[in-house]
Amino acid sequence: MSNRTDLHLSVVVPLYDEVNNVSPLTDWILESLADYEGQFEVLLVDDGSSDGTWEAIRRAAAVEGVRGIRLGRNVGQTAAMMAGFDQSRGRVVVSLDGDLQNDPRDISALVEKLEEGHDLVCGWRRRRQDRALLRRLPSWCANHIIRWLTGVPIRDNGCSLKAYRRDLLDRLALYADQHRFIPALAASYGARIVELPVRHHPRRSGRSKYGLSRTGKVLIDLATLKMVTAFRLRPLAAFGAAAFVLFVIALLFLSGWFVAVIAFTQAKAESLVFPGASLLLAGAGFYLLMLGLLGEVALRSNLGRAGDAPFVKEL
Amino acid sequence: MHPELAVSGTATQDASRVQVREEAFVSVIVPVVDRKDDLLTVYREFEAELRSRSLEYEFIFVFDGGFTSPPEDLVELSHATRELRIIQFERTFGESAALRAGVEHSRGNLIATVPAYFQVRPEGIHALLDELLESTVDLIVTRRAPRADGWWNRLQSRAFHCVVNKLSGFTFRDMGCGLRLMRREIAESLPVYGDLHRFIPAIAVREGYRVKEVDVPQHPLDARRRVYRPGVYVRRLLDIIAFFFLAKFTDKPLRFFGLVGLFLSATGALIGCIVLIQRLAGQGIANRPMLLLSVLLFTLGAQVLGLGLIGEIIVHLRSQQRSAYKVRDTT
Repeated sequence: MSNRTDLHLSVVVPLYDEVNNVSPLTDWILESLADYEGQFEVLLVDDGSSDGTWEAIRRAAAVEGVRGIRLGRNVGQTAAMMAGFDQSRGRVVVSLDGDLQNDPRDISALVEKLEEGHDLVCGWRRRRQDRALLRRLPSWCANHIIRWLTGVPIRDNGCSLKAYRRDLLDRLALYADQHRFIPALAASYGARIVELPVRHHPRRSGRSKYGLSRTGKVLIDLATLKMVTAFRLRPLAAFGAAAFVLFVIALLFLSGWFVAVIAFTQAKAESLVFPGASLLLAGAGFYLLMLGLLGEVALRSNLGRAGDAPFVKEL
Repeated sequence: MHPELAVSGTATQDASRVQVREEAFVSVIVPVVDRKDDLLTVYREFEAELRSRSLEYEFIFVFDGGFTSPPEDLVELSHATRELRIIQFERTFGESAALRAGVEHSRGNLIATVPAYFQVRPEGIHALLDELLESTVDLIVTRRAPRADGWWNRLQSRAFHCVVNKLSGFTFRDMGCGLRLMRREIAESLPVYGDLHRFIPAIAVREGYRVKEVDVPQHPLDARRRVYRPGVYVRRLLDIIAFFFLAKFTDKPLRFFGLVGLFLSATGALIGCIVLIQRLAGQGIANRPMLLLSVLLFTLGAQVLGLGLIGEIIVHLRSQQRSAYKVRDTT
């Protein structure tokens, strides 16, 4: 978009069935940005709500600087955020939740931090106002696993209040609930990331769309995260490592059988269970190696797009 | 064509209402793929209905290779008539490809699909045109109603829709009805290929388009009993599985393969633990097939997981080109 650079800041808010929160949130954002120096826009994204959120957005969009877009159907938070990012025009983008739990007064602090030379500033809900057992405990576990898995030292991956530089957003192509993994994905592109404590309020109206049911999905998504962040550009390395482990176990079974043969334990030497297990493992290892090669083929045939380019810093 | 401007009066304007409404130009696509009646009659009947309205139209017959060649009378007519064109595939590509080719060769801003056989009464098309021109719906599909079919046809149709609707959460009642009307944009962007043409309404909803089902009277000749070879039913079932799988896991293959793989591996590991405990208790394990089962399940699980991870890499690599949403309105 040609007029993208005219705007300094875009505030992107995905909303799903938040009819009572649209107007207070918009007012609050505008109030917090009243003394903001640059030009800004507020972009409200209706993620296929069925409770009249879109009508509320249209009323809110009567104010200068507020825009709304409505998606064809409910596509989930990640895709709604992507829609907002794609449609926004600011050089800096701040995302926040539509449930009034994030505090818009933190926006300018985030942007300031970004201007200090970071590509991504993550809000850190230091005093989180959610139920301990159902929301905070699973989130605590997830954050630790993500940190251990990716080595990106972020304490609060789930906070929606974040500030992004445009060239980071041009690289990030989020899909399938990946909004939880933004810091890890951004880090894999070489983005400079920093965390900033932000305020957090209890939910006032509407209800949360998250519960414990997503735990299994999140665990599987973590495997995906590791795969795409660490092995995106060298799939054979991941599959080779797994194949190596299988080959080693196969070798152990085989040597167990050899020992039996050498020790002339007649019954054990004649049994085919150990060599059989060994063959199965070796076969699976071979199969994984082939898959790894297939991964390399997939990679090669999709290479060479702007999104792959790592961040560079000119000195 | 003179574009006629229709502007709504509200201050905050709804993009779909503030639109430059051009004269309607309907491209009618008739895929001649696996079932046909007298095509000249099909053309004449629908052409008469369209001519009675003040709109532009064209007919495009798409003949799949290997099924049938265009009848002489139709070819002759197409040379004499500007509104009738015929496309012929060199070999068999199927209905989805025929629809695509028809759209590519068409010029209208509205695309209608019409079955190549007597399925619905031609005057039914007016209901579709009225609906699409008046509202903001993107795709109109039809249901044959009142339905003249016997119990067998109804039963198989009912079973098909019951399964699809249950799996997808939609409520379409006659996805096999070939009469449809849509805006050009959606006709060009729908990911329909292979045998997916059967699921056009469901796919459109998933893509974020507004779809509506209207009733059209069934053609009396359509009601004869349809009994297919058993292979056809198997293929239909595979279609449903493919559709369901694609709808749910295209973006996240590991959520499927990972679940299956983890289950297999975990079962294998569990059996392995039991065998190990028995070994420690003093039983020999070298001649026990249980150990083989454990290893087999474990390695199978690892392979399925590997497949899912490759899928994730492919999806990730393509993510820059795809977007999971469609913008319906802007303020």
